[in-house]
Amino acid sequence: MRSEYGDRVEKPLACWSGKETHNGEIIDCLTIIFKSGGCSWNRCTMCGYKSERYRNVTCDELTENIKRQLAYVLSEYKIEKFPLIKIFTSGSFFDSNEVPPAARDAIGAAFRGKTIIAESRTECVKSDILEGFREIIDDGSQKTPLYVAMGLETSNDFIREKCIDKGHTFEDFKTAVSQARNAGCGTKTYLMMKPPYLTELEAMNDMQSSIRDVIPYSDIISMNLCNIQNMTEVEKLWKQNAYRPPYLWSVLKVLIEAGTHVLCDPVAGGKKRGPHNCGKCDYEIVDAIREYSLSGDTEMLKMLYEKGCDCKNEWEFVLKEEKPFCMPLTH
Amino acid sequence: MFEAVKRDGIARIGILSGVGSRVRCESAQEEQTDQIRYQTPIAIDVDKLFPDISDERHRFTSVPLFASEKFTARYMPEYKDAVFKTPNSGNVAESGSMLVIANWQTVLDNPRYYADAVIKIKSGVPADTCMYAPASALPSNVCTLICSGFDLFDYRAVDLKSVQNIFCTQDGEFPAEEAFGRGICSCSGCKKGDLKEHNRNMLDNEIETVKYFIRTGHVRELLERRCRNTAAQVSIMRLFDENYEFSEKRTPIVRPTRLYANTGESMKRPEVKRFVNRVIERFVPSRTDVAVLIPCSAKKPYSQSQSHIKFQSAIQNRAHEIIITSPLGIVPRELERIYPAGHYDVPVTGYWDGEERAFITDAIARYFEKNRYEKVFVHLDGDSLGIAEAALKRAGIGYEVTASERLTSAESLKKLQDALQGYRKVSPDIIGGTVSYQFGATHENFDSSKLRLKGKFLREKVLMGNRQLFSVDTETGCFRPTFDGWELIESGYRVYIDNFVPQGDILAPGVSDCDRDIREGDEVLVVGENALATGKAMMGADEMLSSRRGVAVRVRKVKKL
Repeated sequence: MRSEYGDRVEKPLACWSGKETHNGEIIDCLTIIFKSGGCSWNRCTMCGYKSERYRNVTCDELTENIKRQLAYVLSEYKIEKFPLIKIFTSGSFFDSNEVPPAARDAIGAAFRGKTIIAESRTECVKSDILEGFREIIDDGSQKTPLYVAMGLETSNDFIREKCIDKGHTFEDFKTAVSQARNAGCGTKTYLMMKPPYLTELEAMNDMQSSIRDVIPYSDIISMNLCNIQNMTEVEKLWKQNAYRPPYLWSVLKVLIEAGTHVLCDPVAGGKKRGPHNCGKCDYEIVDAIREYSLSGDTEMLKMLYEKGCDCKNEWEFVLKEEKPFCMPLTH
Repeated sequence: MFEAVKRDGIARIGILSGVGSRVRCESAQEEQTDQIRYQTPIAIDVDKLFPDISDERHRFTSVPLFASEKFTARYMPEYKDAVFKTPNSGNVAESGSMLVIANWQTVLDNPRYYADAVIKIKSGVPADTCMYAPASALPSNVCTLICSGFDLFDYRAVDLKSVQNIFCTQDGEFPAEEAFGRGICSCSGCKKGDLKEHNRNMLDNEIETVKYFIRTGHVRELLERRCRNTAAQVSIMRLFDENYEFSEKRTPIVRPTRLYANTGESMKRPEVKRFVNRVIERFVPSRTDVAVLIPCSAKKPYSQSQSHIKFQSAIQNRAHEIIITSPLGIVPRELERIYPAGHYDVPVTGYWDGEERAFITDAIARYFEKNRYEKVFVHLDGDSLGIAEAALKRAGIGYEVTASERLTSAESLKKLQDALQGYRKVSPDIIGGTVSYQFGATHENFDSSKLRLKGKFLREKVLMGNRQLFSVDTETGCFRPTFDGWELIESGYRVYIDNFVPQGDILAPGVSDCDRDIREGDEVLVVGENALATGKAMMGADEMLSSRRGVAVRVRKVKKL
């Protein structure tokens, strides 16, 4: 894309600023989704970024393209405002085929002195690469300047394979965590609530056990709520009436009973394509989840859960009656 | 174990037995296994009947209805007491087993997938398997489900409506705050103010209603009413009709009851299409020199009506009488008693809609394209006159219109009589016409000239000399051949058995082979090494060959060889 800066800059796939809680403090955070060489796995059922990639480019061209995106970010945002930077590539930031080392180093240099959370698949989490990158950003001002974010999605290997087709195991994740920790990095674990092919109860139980299972391996836990993005497997199932995103009641129950602070941004919350209840009670709950995600305080969640709604009966019915041979019962 | 005992098209009544359900006897404080027989279709707590399907060990086994074969094969569950089944599951099911048509509720709004899936599933399993549609049945759609071949339902869909505060009836679902307790229903649930009980009652009542209509052979008429509840259900009925090959196999040849052709879709019934096809393809007319086209009458058979008595006295057998009618198109006089020609009721206002016109025009034209009459007289008026003229023009047959104003006026009848003067008198050959229609026209040695019809109207026998060859089924107009009669019908309609001598009816497992044309209600000859038997098919050929249970042929007479 050409802009007022000509060829020198290119807009990333997405870039936005927001608040994030980190080490108990609510701080400004810049989130960047870089267009890269593309995810090397590229099979996950709910992934909407499968075609977001540079095609037929040399390593040098790819490096230049990513650097142009970085230039855009640096020109559009007052970087000094953001102590926290979250980096995604719709794949693996630490996959050198996707993000060439020179590009990665340039990004690191640009954000030196900040805390960076960068996402990667487990197989690309290697101590030497992480350590190299950490050294570039580390100016001694941050206790943990680099966190590796990994999409474990669930601690259940069967569900991860059948429902997400993620291509790695809980053991692979644990190995990656030790690689990260050896490199002096923190870990952020992404979980995915209600991938396809699960009943509401199976999905809810899966998140409850997954949260318990990942606590020892995670400095930060973030739970994504499955939503329906264009051109995904999940969308196809949704159009065939074969998928319903989670009820917000299930989300409340999981967060209230988590026993730890689980970050959660209910994307498309209250909408047909996102986690939703009946439409009447949704927005209040979505707001409360966003609030909780920053504060870690479950009081409001408990209050709304107790208060209920006409549709809570429906949710309880679905938990009890939805079985693998008759799901989803509702839409 | 499952067995179908009464069919009406794709719908059936069956018996589900040997389902071991543990019943706790409160007094004795002990468990005993109770073998219960259930009559299907039925709504029941299926998870209690087949506890394994909702067992914890099958968690995470959901497979969408339209998942690929590969995905389905990899993840589908294996139940202990039932068989998981989807269109792509590719697994086999044994006779008598219970099929869980998993996630069927997801396809209810998608008529094309729905019809394709039913056809694919049903075509791949024995007919005597019990089809369970989970979480699908509502009072407003269960008629369509049963008419799609489903036998077993649960209360999940109605119970879900109850928790959503929705009031269910066979005519649709309404907000309970508007409809519940307003006198629409006075069932036990309504009396108590218990919405859940009401909704379950409605489903049970509707299933019983559908069962009643199956028993009386009128389930199609009920379906034509009930499917109006939703566009999807109308589409489903139409798609099954369009899929003639699938539906016709399951449609009985005869019913002892009237056929009420009161909707636009009545014309699309497999019975109607089959009748038209057989008149054109099988039926051999008594004569092809001269024909007269006359209108139908409300009274059946037509010849018993006042108008036809008048027509016949004017025609005096000087022309082959062909009755033009909706929805059957054309009924030659010889076939006027045969189902459904002698059995249908249709609203008559003289108005024929566009689809009727096209359908009947086509039937008449096809008939006259095949049977090249030298001369055709048209004694019709109004819309039917226009239709007949268009059809005859298409077939390239010359014709003469014989009526002026009213068809039964003295003047019109005189004109008809005068027009036919000079043509020879030939009585309609009911024997030849019926045999060609019923058994096919290819029996070269069949010569009806030596046969005679004897006895009172609708009580006749067909004799050759003193030997009886056929009796007439008074309810359906069909012929029932004796062993001598079968000698004249040299091929077709045979059911083959092994070397046993039948004691009573022939059961499906006793059938080693049969002609594929056989449908429920057909007269058949049972052929074995040691015996012959005459009788009536109680199921179609496919079902005879695939089932292990049920009566295949109701035997009339057995002859040891």
